[in-house]
Amino acid sequence: MLDLLTTGLHGWGPQLLSGTAMTIAVALSSFLLGLAFGAAAGAAKLSDSLVLRGLAELYTTAVRGVPELLVIYLLFFGGSGMIMAVAGIFGYGGLIELNAFSIGVAAVGLISGAYSTEVIRGAVKSVPYGQIEAARACGMGRWRILRRVLVPQTLRFALPGLGNVWQLTLKDTALISVTALAEIMRVAHTAAGSTRQSFLFYSVAALLYLALTTVSTTAFQQAERYASRGVRRA
Amino acid sequence: MDQHRIAIDPIASVDRDGPAHRHPPSNPAATVAVQADGIHKRFGSLEVLKGVSLTAREGDVVTLIGSSGSGKSTLLRCINMLEVPDEGRVTICGETIAMKTARGRTLPANSRQVDRIRTSLGMVFQSFNLWSHMTILENVIEAPVHVLGVPKGEAIDLARSLLDKVGILGKADCYPIQLSGGQQQRAAIARALAMQPKVMLFDEPTSALDPELVGEVLRVIRQLADEGRTMILVTHEMDFAREVSSKVVFLHQGRIEEEGAPDRVLTSPESDRVRQFLSRRLSAA
Ligand SMILES: Nc1ncnc2c1ncn2[C@@H]1O[C@H](COP(=O)(O)OP(=O)(O)OP(=O)(O)O)[C@@H](O)[C@H]1O
Ligand SMILES: [Mg+2]
Repeated sequence: MLDLLTTGLHGWGPQLLSGTAMTIAVALSSFLLGLAFGAAAGAAKLSDSLVLRGLAELYTTAVRGVPELLVIYLLFFGGSGMIMAVAGIFGYGGLIELNAFSIGVAAVGLISGAYSTEVIRGAVKSVPYGQIEAARACGMGRWRILRRVLVPQTLRFALPGLGNVWQLTLKDTALISVTALAEIMRVAHTAAGSTRQSFLFYSVAALLYLALTTVSTTAFQQAERYASRGVRRA
Repeated sequence: MDQHRIAIDPIASVDRDGPAHRHPPSNPAATVAVQADGIHKRFGSLEVLKGVSLTAREGDVVTLIGSSGSGKSTLLRCINMLEVPDEGRVTICGETIAMKTARGRTLPANSRQVDRIRTSLGMVFQSFNLWSHMTILENVIEAPVHVLGVPKGEAIDLARSLLDKVGILGKADCYPIQLSGGQQQRAAIARALAMQPKVMLFDEPTSALDPELVGEVLRVIRQLADEGRTMILVTHEMDFAREVSSKVVFLHQGRIEEEGAPDRVLTSPESDRVRQFLSRRLSAA
């Protein structure tokens, strides 16, 4: 097996493996960052504040309305500048270089978060309000209600949608190969170029993505089954 | 708590299950458990409560009746601040809920105080509102453990005895959706009782139930009344109201139209509106 990897793929096996690890790292980080964005923007969309609602609406509309590759370019070429400008406000004038990994995670996280926002907002709205009231009537405070009633139930409604977002996020990581970060797509591209075996390496890349999505889909189904306890009759 | 009742109304204790079953009248010497004074509540331009005052003494079962939209639920929900009254005061067992005005809106001054007072007010909703991601047992121990800080083992023991009392101990490990409406409502009653509240509030506890399931829930509520629990109950079940109430309050368009002993209000009301309401109820039944 290891032999096949090293010899069969013209010696590109190890790079492909580490590329896969990189893809997983970027996808996981971006997805989690996106969840944070999504929770914040979802909460903002449900808030009473017109300003917060407007900002969240702007975020999701802008990110979803612009090609994803363009979001990555904007962050890649504008990101350092923006951060330096912000740092300048706080009196830091030095040069800040962002590495490809953090920019990639920020960009894909931003995209992922825009989709998570809608999923989370919808899920929160599906929690029957009476169950929140019952918790209030028992004397539970805001945080306890959030933790014990709202989040577990939101998760249950959100998991199918978040599964889709995860799959999108995983595939979107391929776009950041343009920043030369050595994830699956980039490695396949380089290998294809140097060996002139384009079809072979792109097929291998496809198989790798397929393996990742299949495994994670199964994991999400398990999680859904757990979170839906008490929803369907056993 | 039972003694005063026997002293005042010996018949009730003798004739407990007979057709003439009646809850004893309010004991004027008992301490006040719930006092609402001059409650006003508006939803936008609609004034739903126009200055309602209500007193429930310990051991009282106060029943709120009235046609749809008269403000019964709103009044009940003002007592535990699920609705915040625009004007008026609510006092629970001697403690007045502090209010403040911010940007022209009235709000409880201290949410901690409200949360604490709510632990002494058990609420039962028309639609049960059990937490669907928890088993029945988990529903019942949730607030005692996480709000009152009762040790889990103790909470489980109490929960089991309460589930036994309402007749669904066998369903302890089921999820709410696996229960019938009547069983869910009895679980919700057990959940409220688990907080060992001083007062129970019921908002049309049987209105969402199939007719054949109403009886099992009313039986549990009647048992609580017989135990001398202080309760405020919104219901459309007039016969039940007559039997369990120490006082009946008829609301009409946000005002109290008439109140008094159940036999008087429900048999020979002074108000024409109450009379009309009752005859409509009778012909509907
Ligand atoms: N959250 C709310 N927002 C706006 N209007 C409301 C709200 N809650 C109640 N109302 C209105 O207030 C009025 C009184 O409602 P309430 O629920 O107290 O009546 P009720 O006596 O309990 O009636 P029912 O027998 O139908 O339950 C109704 O006209 C209702 O539409
Ligand atoms: Mg009502």
